[in-house]
Amino acid sequence: MNFHLVLKLVLRDWRAGELRLLLVSLLVAVGIVAAITMTVGRLQSAMMLEAASYLAADRVISGGKPIPEAFIDAADQNELAMSHTLTFTSMVVAQSTDARTQLVSVKAVDDEYPLRGTLKVTDEPFGWGDATEDVPDPGKVWLDSRLFPALGVELGDRVQVGYADFEISRVLTHEPDRGGSMWDMGPRLLMNIADVPATQVVQPGSRLNYKLLLSGERAGLDSVFETIREDLRPDYDWEDVRRSVAQIGRALDRAERFFLIGGSLAVLLAGVAIALSAQRYASRHINHVGILKTLGATPNDVLFAILGVLLLIGLVGMTLGYAAGSALHYFLVWNFRELLPAELPGVGFRPLILSTVTGLICLFTFALPQFLALKNISPLRVLRRDIADGATSKLVTYSFAAIGSVSLLIWYAENVLLVVGLLVGISLTCLVFSGIALVLLKGGRVVGAEAGSVWRLALAGLQRRRGSNTGQIIVFGLAIMMLLIIFLLRTTLIEEWQAQLPDELPNHFLLNVTNAQVEGVEAFLDEHAVYDGFLLPMLPGRVVAVNNENVRTYQENIQGTVRRMSGPRLSSTRQLTYLEDLPNENKVVKGDWWDPNTGAHEVSIEDSYAYRWDLDIGDELTFQVAGSEVTATVTSIRSLQWESFQPNFFMILSPAALREVPATFITGFHLADEDKRYVQDLISQFPTITVIDVGSIIEQVQSILSRATQAVEWVLYLVLGGGVLVLIAAIQSGRDYRMREYALIRSLGGSRNLISGSLIAEFTFLGAMAGLVAVCGAELSMWFIEGVIFEFDYTPRPMLWILGPLMGMVIILSVGYLGTRQLVSTPPIAVLRDF
Amino acid sequence: MGRENLTILDGVDVSLAYGDSLAIVGVSGSGKTTLLGILAGLDLPTSGKVWLDGEELTEMDEEQRAKVRSKVVGFVFQSFQLIESLTALENVMLPGELRGDSTARQDAEEFLDRVGVGDRTKHYPRQLSGGEQQRVAIARAFASRPTVLFADEPTGNLDTATGKLVADLLFDLNQEVGTTLVLVTHDVGLASRCKHRIELTAGKITS
Repeated sequence: MNFHLVLKLVLRDWRAGELRLLLVSLLVAVGIVAAITMTVGRLQSAMMLEAASYLAADRVISGGKPIPEAFIDAADQNELAMSHTLTFTSMVVAQSTDARTQLVSVKAVDDEYPLRGTLKVTDEPFGWGDATEDVPDPGKVWLDSRLFPALGVELGDRVQVGYADFEISRVLTHEPDRGGSMWDMGPRLLMNIADVPATQVVQPGSRLNYKLLLSGERAGLDSVFETIREDLRPDYDWEDVRRSVAQIGRALDRAERFFLIGGSLAVLLAGVAIALSAQRYASRHINHVGILKTLGATPNDVLFAILGVLLLIGLVGMTLGYAAGSALHYFLVWNFRELLPAELPGVGFRPLILSTVTGLICLFTFALPQFLALKNISPLRVLRRDIADGATSKLVTYSFAAIGSVSLLIWYAENVLLVVGLLVGISLTCLVFSGIALVLLKGGRVVGAEAGSVWRLALAGLQRRRGSNTGQIIVFGLAIMMLLIIFLLRTTLIEEWQAQLPDELPNHFLLNVTNAQVEGVEAFLDEHAVYDGFLLPMLPGRVVAVNNENVRTYQENIQGTVRRMSGPRLSSTRQLTYLEDLPNENKVVKGDWWDPNTGAHEVSIEDSYAYRWDLDIGDELTFQVAGSEVTATVTSIRSLQWESFQPNFFMILSPAALREVPATFITGFHLADEDKRYVQDLISQFPTITVIDVGSIIEQVQSILSRATQAVEWVLYLVLGGGVLVLIAAIQSGRDYRMREYALIRSLGGSRNLISGSLIAEFTFLGAMAGLVAVCGAELSMWFIEGVIFEFDYTPRPMLWILGPLMGMVIILSVGYLGTRQLVSTPPIAVLRDF
Repeated sequence: MGRENLTILDGVDVSLAYGDSLAIVGVSGSGKTTLLGILAGLDLPTSGKVWLDGEELTEMDEEQRAKVRSKVVGFVFQSFQLIESLTALENVMLPGELRGDSTARQDAEEFLDRVGVGDRTKHYPRQLSGGEQQRVAIARAFASRPTVLFADEPTGNLDTATGKLVADLLFDLNQEVGTTLVLVTHDVGLASRCKHRIELTAGKITS
């Protein structure tokens, strides 16, 4: 047999419609993988780019000492873009008659700053900013809006920083890398790094923060990290956006995991569709091959023809699939154009390689075993129908498919735990429900024997084809289960993101509100802002002793142990608070939260902080707060959500411990964009308080999350497409025997209504069973995926147990009935002649 | 539960010269079709030997037997056995195509004409009547100009008149092409048109 003949056979099969479903399944598998990897890859890059603007760079090296030359050389060798910044706190004096002073956070930058994101400036304090590519020229500074009323200055006035004085040339409204540590931030003064020596602020002992901003290719960044990682500790930190901005890091991680799960499910579904359509193709070709063999086709000819068909289908399916995937990808990119940066990173080869290998694995593990069965068909079958059809053993078929799925999943998701979880869920569900379905189908006959003829016919059919119906229930069930998983996951994810950023989230925070100002500030906020009265006391303090041991000695001892990792130091001054009740979003993980009226001195510690410094329930900490010492016992360890836009505290004390110490207060409020001018009024009215505007940070996070949400929605649609394909393939694979049986029944005088009724009854039953299988599998998998992969709290969904079977009934009934309605309308003779 | 061995054919010894015709008759289950399958090399006996066109089929594997079939054997079946997805012409071309004959198409068209369905070349089997389908099957069998033609109840699915037409065609072409004909039939009339006749009873030749 030559290839020309194989081509002819394929074309003839195609013309007869035998190959369409197989080709479409392959096309969808390859197309989905291509579209998901291309789109997700580019969305991810876009999200990372957007997220990188949080750091104003792709990676940042920061530390209290100047950046070593070795680091700069490493970055240079890897052709990375670099920018140096230096941040320090300094008292700034207005060069005016009243010489007002203000403690500000000075940031000195070079001309390359920022490497990602943009600075925004304006000429009007509290006005909207426009993006600029400039930085302050030497001799000039840009000031935060709130510094203008605080210092009583205008544009063009001069301020003194250290020993140098500068002209105020612009109002700074946005700085990309401002979100990192919003609670330690004073108002900003931006200057040129060339002016730093003139200020003479860099002295031994001054608290400085040097940063080397890096951007460029991922490989280059990784290479720099590898080169210098040994030299980073203990003075320098290596930051990337995931580590630096908790809100973004978690969202990106979760979105990525979702895409991977979605993609894996879509590929699995398409794989099942390929297996089903290959099975149908094979079973319809048993006789065909028998005839070919009587006509002299050798087993090797048949093998050659099978491989030829697979190769051709593979080639066409994969090419068309990749083209369709690319088209879908461009549509998605077009659809997201408002959200995406004008220049997207390239697609790269990963999607092409991934989708091609997916196609090949699908073909060779899902389709080939079914095809190979044809090679061994006995030519004698043509003479005698009772000869075995030589089908490949189920064990071989399933093993091939299992190997295919596992390798696809592991390769695709790069997460063995996830794959194991999914597979355990799927296998357990299959096993348990195969048993239950078999028993139910057997019982159905007994129950149905007394029922009306429609049910009797349906149940008789269901019971007679017990094996294949069990298979169908499992396949339908798995398809619906995967749709449920992806739908539930998407809902959980989006709800989580929305909860993280409610509409009227405080976009401003007030610091340093004194006891005397509380009443006035509250009245002001009640009038002009959305404000829920949340006013926390804040006291700068530091730990001086642990269990009566000097904190520095204690700290050194701990650092010698395995817990030596980067993070906030125990002895540093930090903000403390006292509260009666456990704040929202905090969870006690060890010990108990105190009684609101406790008279004891108690302290609650954040869990990672407690772990790092080896603090546990019962330890005594001595704090120095406002010149006096307070000792408190650790009574609880808390976990908290760093990604919430709320003030978070490493250490919270009981009111009795700190109530007598003078404190200032912090509060958050939401101000609509058009009401921003009230900030100026507030500062004029209460000049000593500090206002922090986190609106732009929230907007950035919102924009990233809305991108992620849209992408998640699209992945959902693609998986839905895969699911529908499986359903169609499964219905089609059961179509032939239904056709034959119902044609016989009609020829024996069965009415159309009897056939329709029986089909409806059969699909209703199959659908309800499949829905039950789906809910069981979905709950099992969600318990694992939510709990382990996404670290959400798993909550059972009782409604699902009703909705699942109902959904199964509706879906299977509609797809099934549409797919087989021909059975009812085709004259029985036309059907019988075909078999 | 154990399975007893069934003897389907026992002591069958038949030889047939080129151009001869043989009818195998017998009641249902007497082993006619099994014998046909073995003679045509579709199946192997558990013991005994079969020669076809000078080659010993029983010494060959399926691959070699298939090659012999493609060279010397043609088939006509009771249930026609046309491939549903192929047109009448494509069905008839298939044996030639499998052998790689460059004249497969012309041969097929010629034989379809000769069996009287030359105007239905583009029809699919389901669009043809039983008689027409069997004619296409006969055209397919003869198009490869086989040395031996095996026919399994060739008229079994046809009414008497159509059956007679098909039988006439089979014997006319047999004469014309000089094919050896082996047919299994219940039809006494059809059997009597063969030069030789054996009757099987419970797997043994009884006459």
